[in-house]
Amino acid sequence: FPEMSHLPCLCWGAGAGQDVGRSCILVSIAGKNVMLDCGMHMGYNDDRRFPDFSYITQNGRLTDFLDCVIISHFHLDHCGALPYFSEMVGYDGPIYMTHPTKAICPILLEDYRKITVDKKGETNFFTSQMIKDCMKKVVAVHLHQTVQVDEELEIKAYYAGHVLGAAMFQIKVGCESVVYTGDYNMTPDRHLGAAWVDKCRPDLLISESTYATTIRDSKRCRERDFLKKVHETVERGGKVLIPVFALGRAQELCILLETFWERMNLKAPIYFSTGLTEKANHYYKLFITWTNQKIRKTFVQRNMFEFKHIKAFDRAFADKPGPMVVFATPGMLHAGQSLQIFRKWAGNEKNMVIMPGYCVQGTVGHKILSGQRKLEMEGRQILEVKMQVEYMSFSAHADAKGIMQLIRQAEPRNVLLVHGEAKKMEFLKQKIEQEFHVNCYMPANGETTTIFTNPSIPVDISLGLLKRETAIGLLPDAKKPKLMHGTLIMKDNSFRLVSPEQALKELGLAEHQLRFTCRVHIQDPRKEHETVLRVYNHLKGQVVLKDYSVQHLPDGSITVESILIQATAHSEDQGTKVLLVSWTYQDEELGSYLTALLKKGLPPSTS
Amino acid sequence: LLLPRVCAALADPRQPGSDDTCLEKLLDWFRTLTEFDPSVKLLQDNPCLTEFITSVLALPEPSPSILSFTLRLAGILAASESRFQHLQQEKLLVMLFGGDGPLSSTVWEDASVRSGWVEGVHSMMQHQLALHFICNGGGMDVIFALQGDPSLFVASAASRLLVHMLILSAESETTKHPSTKDCDWPACAQMIIKHIEDSLQSNSASHVEQSLKLLTSLFGSCRSTWTEVLWLGIAKQIESFLTEKTVQVQHMLASLLLNMAWSPVFCESEGSFWALVTSALERLTPVQAGPLAVGLLRLYKCPQDVRIQALTVLLQPMDCILRAASQPLEHAGLLDESVSDPAAVESLLSSKSSCASLLCQTLAHLEKLLCLIHLPVDLPYASLLRSLVTILQFCNGFLSPTSPLGSTISRILINCFRVQRSALDVLAALSERIGCDTLIGSLFDVLLAYLESPNTSPTVLKKTFQATSKWLVRLHEVSCSNSQWQQTQKILEDVFLVLQKRLCSPCWEIRDSSLEFLTVLIKCLRDQDEFRQSLLSSEVPRLTENLLEDPESYVRASAVIAVGHLAFITYFAPESPVVGNQYNKENTVAKLQEILSADPEGFPRRAVISIFTKWLRQGCTGPLEDTEQFVSRVIQTVEYDLDWEVRLGGLELVEVFCSQTICQLGPPECSYSPVSSAITSSVHQNKLLQVFCRAKLFRFLFRSLCDCDKPVGQRACDILLALRGSFYPISTLKDSQEAGDSPAGPSIAWLQRTLRQGSLAQDFPSDGGNGVDFGDPESMLLALGTIDLEELHDELNKCSDHVEKSPQSLLQDILATVGTIEENEADCY
Repeated sequence: FPEMSHLPCLCWGAGAGQDVGRSCILVSIAGKNVMLDCGMHMGYNDDRRFPDFSYITQNGRLTDFLDCVIISHFHLDHCGALPYFSEMVGYDGPIYMTHPTKAICPILLEDYRKITVDKKGETNFFTSQMIKDCMKKVVAVHLHQTVQVDEELEIKAYYAGHVLGAAMFQIKVGCESVVYTGDYNMTPDRHLGAAWVDKCRPDLLISESTYATTIRDSKRCRERDFLKKVHETVERGGKVLIPVFALGRAQELCILLETFWERMNLKAPIYFSTGLTEKANHYYKLFITWTNQKIRKTFVQRNMFEFKHIKAFDRAFADKPGPMVVFATPGMLHAGQSLQIFRKWAGNEKNMVIMPGYCVQGTVGHKILSGQRKLEMEGRQILEVKMQVEYMSFSAHADAKGIMQLIRQAEPRNVLLVHGEAKKMEFLKQKIEQEFHVNCYMPANGETTTIFTNPSIPVDISLGLLKRETAIGLLPDAKKPKLMHGTLIMKDNSFRLVSPEQALKELGLAEHQLRFTCRVHIQDPRKEHETVLRVYNHLKGQVVLKDYSVQHLPDGSITVESILIQATAHSEDQGTKVLLVSWTYQDEELGSYLTALLKKGLPPSTS
Repeated sequence: LLLPRVCAALADPRQPGSDDTCLEKLLDWFRTLTEFDPSVKLLQDNPCLTEFITSVLALPEPSPSILSFTLRLAGILAASESRFQHLQQEKLLVMLFGGDGPLSSTVWEDASVRSGWVEGVHSMMQHQLALHFICNGGGMDVIFALQGDPSLFVASAASRLLVHMLILSAESETTKHPSTKDCDWPACAQMIIKHIEDSLQSNSASHVEQSLKLLTSLFGSCRSTWTEVLWLGIAKQIESFLTEKTVQVQHMLASLLLNMAWSPVFCESEGSFWALVTSALERLTPVQAGPLAVGLLRLYKCPQDVRIQALTVLLQPMDCILRAASQPLEHAGLLDESVSDPAAVESLLSSKSSCASLLCQTLAHLEKLLCLIHLPVDLPYASLLRSLVTILQFCNGFLSPTSPLGSTISRILINCFRVQRSALDVLAALSERIGCDTLIGSLFDVLLAYLESPNTSPTVLKKTFQATSKWLVRLHEVSCSNSQWQQTQKILEDVFLVLQKRLCSPCWEIRDSSLEFLTVLIKCLRDQDEFRQSLLSSEVPRLTENLLEDPESYVRASAVIAVGHLAFITYFAPESPVVGNQYNKENTVAKLQEILSADPEGFPRRAVISIFTKWLRQGCTGPLEDTEQFVSRVIQTVEYDLDWEVRLGGLELVEVFCSQTICQLGPPECSYSPVSSAITSSVHQNKLLQVFCRAKLFRFLFRSLCDCDKPVGQRACDILLALRGSFYPISTLKDSQEAGDSPAGPSIAWLQRTLRQGSLAQDFPSDGGNGVDFGDPESMLLALGTIDLEELHDELNKCSDHVEKSPQSLLQDILATVGTIEENEADCY
């Protein structure tokens, strides 16, 4: 325990490098199985886009095997396979995510479904109804709220920055815990704050390591660069196309442009092409508490998400002369409106397309980012791309410095790095092990890492037993640990230490006596009863035994407390007497003493 | 031309690695190429492929991903004998898959390389040459070892490979059919079988597990008689796992035995196999035996005594529940005591850690069985129902029995959502089966209690709704036969009372599920008087209408659907029981129209258009003139909708309208079927065209051809093609297309050019402009005849990314990426 395995990804990528993979991690902690994220791979149109869930359990239902699913944030590489998992594979158990994620997730899923349906021949994909049914199974959680999944398993969300509603999750069973970061960002940006977790000292911290070694240049520089490029294009009368996904990056760039337009008093129109914007912006307004302090402060005067300069787009606008900026979906120029506008504007060198996110192979976005300028379009037409093509990454992941900072905050006992490139991760792993003296793991996809913990298990002690111990005169003292005898009862996942008598009573068991016996041979030619008398006198004469009751019983045996001594003549040698000594385990010390004493032989007879 | 450059780029260690998806897709392409052509020509025509492999092998430190790609590529190429020999001559296969290849280098530590090796071997394993190559080259030991690989993927791929090799070897290499115990297995098969036997005898649980896994998948995929010979050699050993338990592998036996039971080789055998199955059912724990039992019950050829045993395993937990809940002698359990020893099940049910999981598993199995159309066994449905009701009562604390077992179970189950959900699923499935009605009273008591209770979680509530709707339908059927109208009436009233409350829930999930429930009820029971009366005399219709203004768009959409269905029993019903003007048709239509034109979100708008189409289909929109106006209004609203599915819904409405109108106005022999028969009479034709023009559907249809969302264009094109079929019988089409000298000719020609631009078309003309007059029947008739709709149809039916998906595009992308890679790593969406 806890056992974790990176779930099946049929792509064997070295990680997130050039590969926008899917996140899906299975953690077993104290017998509970939790799935962390349920992402899809956007680079494939077939089975490979979803994790192969058949690896989770060979026989038996997923619902019975998994105790819950936790989604860290709304990006499709973290939640895209969820409707497939819950409505098509048949997982029927609880799913947890934060309130903003629950609200925004279906918008992105819907957006993506549209693209796949648009491509003919796409089968085995979820429907709108499935997305809704899936969302209805989701339990939304608040930050820092401890949610009891069942009697033993509890989870708690922490702020992760990255995107609106992104959260890190602490998963706890008894005294063992795991923190999963999802994607996070340790420096606040224009609309979100920095990730934070308390010093919860988990047994394991699972951290993303997308930017494992990079110390990122400040995002401000990239923002300035972006504004400069947009401004220059608009100034020379060109049009700027920004392909985006409906939510996330789009809102961030909208704020950026809105404030810039305001400051520079620019007149060129800015449009947002999709019907989803309104809803998206609505959510940003609704979840204002999840944004950063600056936005929250200005909210008093004006809501940052109520844009003055940004208006809804109509497809006829694309043909209008003059400068403009258009945000259009989808973000990789796969199909639909963004591709349509791109094709109209591509031929003019005054125009510019800015790709603010990564594009998978097989999209026009990928082609132009890799520098291709002559694109074959439908009907064997060749589209010559004369417009400027820019790539700008605004993604907000923690860099190496940020990852170290988080480890310092949480003080985990072990660290596991996921979602990164092997080489970079290796460097970071060494750094972590050196600086924090903890084990750091970086399993490949499909590999299981097992971490052993020394769980401290709380045990209740019965009052009777405690009283008896203190009655002996020893008061509890934290500095002087002492030995205590009792019976440990393990029942229904609880541990109790009680006196043996109480245990017997509770469990309805009869008491058995355990006696040790020992034979001691003594050279004594006298009759047995005389030997016994000699033994009795010998024992009576021992100073050590003066506080014990030594008795000579009528049947010819001797008792010292529970110890019984009897003498018989040796069957073959009448000159040897055999002393049979027996004692209970409670009087083990006394019994040992007596046998040792008798083995030394009897003192010479006085009479 | 591209391939050599791509190969050179990939083999160049100075170039940064390519995107993994590109390499995967490249392999996909090679797989399709090689599948249809086994000849060596591919390698001869493209020497760059062997050069690529050679140069990767020559690299001092190849990157794991390229090496893995090379291994897999070589495997795919070596799948045909001729190419295998070609690669062998060049010594490439030995260097890749032999002991001195990647196997012995440090890159082998990388899981992707091991995976590439296994996959490569698997791909080439199509002929004897490959089999001998691996067997004689020391490859078998590598594969055996990989079964225990730390990577889940490699381990299971190795196991699959062994199964494949065993089948290949046993089935094609055999000279003498291995039908007797001491048959001669071919060399490779012998190695694998020996390995299986040895590891089964080892004391290592993991080795035994690997072999059991292998056998399970072998028996699951191969139904040849030789499998029995193999089995005879290991049967004793397998049996010992059941009886001796020195190695803990019992949990794997169920699926092994089940796969065997499904194989004709074993299920038709006499005696020993079935004896082993019976012994497994007895000896495995209830949790382990459950999957085996349910699998056997689905099997027709299962011997009767085994079936009874399996049924006992499956029903035992349900039986325990019943007995735990009842006073002595009140109800017998489900099972005859003589065949079952409930001690094990009882102890599992009375433990907190196992009770819920055992019940959930049992319930899931029962549901699986009940969902089969033909069930080979008869289940005791009435007792099952009673035990389900009991479980549900335990879960909500309605039942706290006095028996020690009963009180323990009830304490454990209280508020257990998992068990509630599973039990409700089975309950819903059971409604299809049961004939008895004695329990219906207590069943609905429980369902209503769940519907009412504030403790019911949203997901449990949804399942309760599903079960309730199914049982209400069942109740109706039962009450028809025994005329227990009063009971039905009372239950319906209670249900609507609860529904009223639930429709006002602060939780959108609950409001939504309630509306969905209402819709299902109306769909199933709208013809029943008692149902209509109870519904209309409740507050439910009013509350449903209120939800059209819900803040949550999902709820608004469900409300639209529910209101749309409600209309069938209020104003569209022939004998509407409505009193007063509470239900105003115009009001509702206006409200839905308002949602269609103004709702900021897609779901409610999509719901409205689907309801309108439903109304139209069912003939609820009145006489033709009214319908024409209605359709025209809807078209104008949805034409510019931002949501493509709303536009698509609009096209569906148009399609229904067209076929209905043609049937109404067209020749009498026309049946209600898709637009097919040609309209010969020109009077009809004119009348029809006028209706369509007035309804403004041509502009919508032609405009949709240029829609930037492909499905919309496709649908519009289909409709236009169907319309053309109605107006132009195939024989006349050719002539009319040549008639280009009509006054509308130039504008139609312009339209044709515009449509060819597809989604890039600018300024699509609206009526009255200098372009096309979409309201003029004659122009439209000409447009239908002239425009090459087939060409458009073919163009629209290509995937929107067919160009990007082509191999050429893939190769270009790889080349381009390799050249210009920057640090735009690791970004997500």
